[in-house]
Amino acid sequence: MSKRGLLRNFKPLEILTDEQVESIHSGTLHVLAKTGLRIEHERALKIFEQNGCKVDYSDKRVRIPPALVEECLRKCPSSFIVKARDEDNNVTIGGNTTYFKNSCGMQIIDLDTWEPRTATRKENYDAITVLDKLDNLHILGPYTAFFGFEGISPVMAMPESCAAKFRNSSKVQIEGYSNDSEIFQIQMAKAVDAEILQQILASPPMAWYSDAIEALFRAVEADFPVTVFSGQVSGGTAPATLPGAMITNNAELMGTIVLAQLIKPGTRVLPGDYAFAMNMRTGSPAFGAIGSSLHQVAFNQIWRWYGLPVYNVTSGYLSSKSMDYQAGYEKAIQAIMSAVSGANLIGLHGSVSAEITFHAVQAILDDDIAGMIKRFLEGILVNTETLAVDLIDQVGPIPGHFLGTEHSRKWWKIEQFLPKAADWMTYQEWIAQGKPKALDYGRQRMDEILATHKPKPLTPGQEEEIEKILEDSRNYYKKLGKL
Amino acid sequence: MSEILDRLKKAILEYDVEGAGNIAANAIEEGIDPIDAVDVAIKTIRQIGDGYSRGELWIPDLVGGASAMKAAMSVFEDELKKKGKKRQTLGSIVIGTVHGDIHDIGKTMVSTLAEAEGFEVIDLGVSIKAENFVAAVSEHNPVILALSALMTTTAFEQRKVIEMFKEQGMRESIKVAVGGGAVTEEFSQSIGADGYAPTAPMAINLFKELIGIGGQNE
Repeated sequence: MSKRGLLRNFKPLEILTDEQVESIHSGTLHVLAKTGLRIEHERALKIFEQNGCKVDYSDKRVRIPPALVEECLRKCPSSFIVKARDEDNNVTIGGNTTYFKNSCGMQIIDLDTWEPRTATRKENYDAITVLDKLDNLHILGPYTAFFGFEGISPVMAMPESCAAKFRNSSKVQIEGYSNDSEIFQIQMAKAVDAEILQQILASPPMAWYSDAIEALFRAVEADFPVTVFSGQVSGGTAPATLPGAMITNNAELMGTIVLAQLIKPGTRVLPGDYAFAMNMRTGSPAFGAIGSSLHQVAFNQIWRWYGLPVYNVTSGYLSSKSMDYQAGYEKAIQAIMSAVSGANLIGLHGSVSAEITFHAVQAILDDDIAGMIKRFLEGILVNTETLAVDLIDQVGPIPGHFLGTEHSRKWWKIEQFLPKAADWMTYQEWIAQGKPKALDYGRQRMDEILATHKPKPLTPGQEEEIEKILEDSRNYYKKLGKL
Repeated sequence: MSEILDRLKKAILEYDVEGAGNIAANAIEEGIDPIDAVDVAIKTIRQIGDGYSRGELWIPDLVGGASAMKAAMSVFEDELKKKGKKRQTLGSIVIGTVHGDIHDIGKTMVSTLAEAEGFEVIDLGVSIKAENFVAAVSEHNPVILALSALMTTTAFEQRKVIEMFKEQGMRESIKVAVGGGAVTEEFSQSIGADGYAPTAPMAINLFKELIGIGGQNE
């Protein structure tokens, strides 16, 4: 079994001409062969060298010939399954399927003051329970929900987060890496008979740091799929122009895609677009900017041309500091553009103000955006029954109407998407009900989910193993003096 | 102002790095007092800083102006050294990205803005080991040590640096500021830093607070 996700029933949006795609592609190949990438990992450098790349060990520079890039791209599967601990939640990434994934937050956001604070252990676990319940959320992101919570040391944040996700959700999870945490995360996944989609992040411009490459080796050798992305900031760590930024972005990704295929041909790889312009006032990435959508739409077109599935990481990130009008348009515009241009996985749910904060209520509101997008991607079904020519003829002009027909009773529910946490009342009702807003509905829905939803539990044996692996990780960090 | 210092000012305002360096060299050849020249360079970069504060200029302008100023300053610094003179600064800062982390840009932004503000900046570069921070502080005797780390994996290295200063009995004599993508206020407190700033412009205010001259731009 596999979760179907969202099915797109029309051609994806494309904004580049074939010539433009080819010029970005040839620019990327040129940069890989001439400029090269800095890869801070001895074993990786040797593998590149053995496969015909020019390697300069003094500055850790790898220059990759175009033929090798193209050969390795051909070895990547165009779609693949990622196994969840509950097989009903497996995902098949690729083709015209779209899934949603949550972003996370360093801290929880207070819904009254909009200020961040450290989440409690209960808030962390509750947030995962909510994500487990949401219909349009298929994959849990790394560090979910929070970058650590009260009572744990920062070095334990990632292993604890991985354990919490396995305990309170049976959905697929993406994992990051921090201080070798991937060693323990891989063990946990195996203990619950699941896979992890391992995230690997570049150090732009044009560099890969040793920790990322080490995590790549560990994931590939465990036979797990990997998702690779850059994190570039145009004007800072990438050219300020979109085509130039796309060239360094794609070159960075190709470095690890080539490496993954050289370590183990056929490794499942999901290229991710995680790219921003620089906010030239603060120096931070410009979250929620329309340029990110241009970048992602073009990225989806180019990588589909390469025959790989695509992940849009950027869509869930906001500049807004609260769940307001700006948050709504930043999330919705980015997510819909990603979806109509064929992203197979979209980051959306839960985070507020980039990754500074997260709240389960935001995830609930975002799930309605995902639901609206799901309906849009389904497109328009045209057949005899939906054309309804006979029915129109039967009903005729006023005083005829369609409300009492069986056709309406059957079809309105298929044609319409009903949001779960939005205001759809008349003005009078709305005033009488105390003027509830989306946020109020979101809070109410969170309470309902927490009162009723019980995630599929781990078996006692699995729980014991998870706890043992956590203990091993604590001992590991104690030995290193980090705990 | 002499004609050549006018030209220096213009070069910095036009972010002309090569021009500023050449004009600086010409000024010294013409016998301009390097103290006066430094004064012009710093006033010019302040003008750019003020434009930024008013929302008329942006970070690329700050960095462009600072790069041009630095090109001129290195010429003037050499001349001051030759003459055994010392220019007035707000104090010196030793800055670097911690060991294992090769991220340069945030740290470089902080360096250039600090220079522009009137600090002397000793930028050690990226992936700097704890013992090298200790050695640099011993050599330069700065008022502030600024540590950058972008990644969650390397943020812990900042703690290692602070611990080493404690071991060497040098912790009390220096203010330690930390920053970078992976660092939060809470984390900075947990590792015993004196201050944290989330952005480069805020780092400059932090430095001024740490040396007791208030957090506002002039």
